[in-house]
Amino acid sequence: MPLIELDNVSKTYNTTAVPIQAVKNVSLKIEKQEFTAIVGPSGSGKTTLLNLIGGLDKPTNGSVLVEGTDISTLKPDALIDFRLHHIGFVFQAYNLVPVFSARENVEFIMLLQKIPKAEREKRAIELLEAVGLGDRIDSRPSQLSGGEQQRVAVARALASRPNFVLADEPTANLSHAAESLLDMMNRLNRNYEMTFVFSTHDPRVIKRSRRVVTLEDGAVVSDVTTAA
Amino acid sequence: MLLTLAWKNTWRNKKRSFIIILSIALGLWGSLLAGAVWMGWGESMVNTAIERDLSNIQIHKKGYTRNKEITNFIPRGFRILKETQHIPGVKAVSGRTLVEAMAASPTSTFGVKIVGIIPAQAKKVTNIHSLLRQGTYFRGRGRNPVIIGKKLADRLGLKLHSKIILSFQGMDGSLNYAACRIVGIYKTNSALFDQSNVFMKQPDLFRLLNSKPAIHEIAVRTESSRIMPKVFDALKTKYPGLAVQTWKELAPEVALISAAMESYTYIFLGLILFALLFGITNTMLMAVMKRVREIGVLIAIGMKRGKVFSMILLETVLLSITGGVAGIVTGGLSIAYFSHTGIDLSAFASGMETFGASTMVHPFLPLDMYIALLVMVVATAILSAVLPAWNAIHIQPSEAIRTY
Repeated sequence: MPLIELDNVSKTYNTTAVPIQAVKNVSLKIEKQEFTAIVGPSGSGKTTLLNLIGGLDKPTNGSVLVEGTDISTLKPDALIDFRLHHIGFVFQAYNLVPVFSARENVEFIMLLQKIPKAEREKRAIELLEAVGLGDRIDSRPSQLSGGEQQRVAVARALASRPNFVLADEPTANLSHAAESLLDMMNRLNRNYEMTFVFSTHDPRVIKRSRRVVTLEDGAVVSDVTTAA
Repeated sequence: MLLTLAWKNTWRNKKRSFIIILSIALGLWGSLLAGAVWMGWGESMVNTAIERDLSNIQIHKKGYTRNKEITNFIPRGFRILKETQHIPGVKAVSGRTLVEAMAASPTSTFGVKIVGIIPAQAKKVTNIHSLLRQGTYFRGRGRNPVIIGKKLADRLGLKLHSKIILSFQGMDGSLNYAACRIVGIYKTNSALFDQSNVFMKQPDLFRLLNSKPAIHEIAVRTESSRIMPKVFDALKTKYPGLAVQTWKELAPEVALISAAMESYTYIFLGLILFALLFGITNTMLMAVMKRVREIGVLIAIGMKRGKVFSMILLETVLLSITGGVAGIVTGGLSIAYFSHTGIDLSAFASGMETFGASTMVHPFLPLDMYIALLVMVVATAILSAVLPAWNAIHIQPSEAIRTY
């Protein structure tokens, strides 16, 4: 059974006078431990597709199955709970809680999972060390560079021990730090056997991806597995 | 950690938080002080009335308050007076002989009540002796010495050592006249009391009445107001044939004003908090609006809407409690200070004297009122948080992350 399975998924936004079909009849299977890039120009539907996979949006048509569960049919609270336990998120703008330290940011998601304090602290420190921020655990987001904040965001995404991590344009706001972040994600993909699905139009990211799904106008135009 | 997050969020915008905390603190400080002044004023009215003449409990012959005939004295009054003194919780007692009379001077006449007392006893029950403006409290010798109020002296155009003619009905129905010497002039906070009460020593009054010793009223002071109900019950049980009444029954208007002050204080505090409710709601709405993206992310990563609601609720409660505690502490300290020094309201003396209240008000607020206020603050905070928290839980994560 694939980890993620999209079956003929479409998403139409009716927020404007003219409905916008952001995703058109996408069918996609993603297996465990894949390192998949969803690529395409701006407005091609990358973020919408990730939102559908992550249960942040509901498809207009089709179904999204994660480990066999059709998440598009889950009730709001059940969906939040599903995300908490199964999906890790990394956002373009990092979106850390500004009043929390790096450690607290990583710990917070485990608190939502009701993991005991000692375990939370241990795991948060381990993860921050794994992303190379062992010496910055008590720094607040405002005291960290963009690259460092994105590393904390990755650590946070992994803290809940999800089945996969969705990263929306994780390197878009990074220049020099982009490659080291990718190296780190690649390492985590191998060491933690973690599945990564991310949207990007950054050629450096595309080059390092092992599978590249290309979208155009909301439809998949190519799906290529590379040797990267 | 949710509490930590809420507390830290509270201080994200220090200026905003300080403004709302300051407004809550100032609102509560002002209303607490105003309430304490009202309560102090009410308390002062009660204390003044109790110390001046009411005392805590009074005993009369049944029906006396309806028919104040001179013959309506307490049967075996002096024995009961003696027994009452020994009831636990009783601090002092004073037997009073009350006679309706007409006071006359060469220029005017006025209806008064002669209060026959034993000065040594009365001193322990009332404070008239300490309110003398002129003269002494029955010191020295003289025929038929009396003490009158300043208002009566002014009305009759009398001075210290002037002669005053009192006419009254005797026990046998005969009309008696007595020339008395004014040995003291007192002034209380009640002009009404001052113009209608003339104090005379009981032996002199009995001689003038040409009657055997008799008392119409036993005034009882208890060791504290808390013990009053116990003493009242004991007296009521011991003397079922007599009318035993507390000051609240004897002067319901004073009791009513005292109770009204407490109600006014609660109403005033409620209004202040109601006004603050909108300020707090507005502040929290702004706080939520500024954090739409962040709240959206929290919901996206797995924070249930109930927890988001709790977080906003906690932030509001923490903000309000900080302001509330600051207001209550500063209010409490101000009340303690003014309670010690008193607030001089002599500028409004004539108005206050009509109500029989002291012009020096000692603000006072009972402890249970502080607790009730804290509960009111928390309730206001919870109410204020409902709309912002409701908005927060309806944030759509995908839209929040995309748009904001």
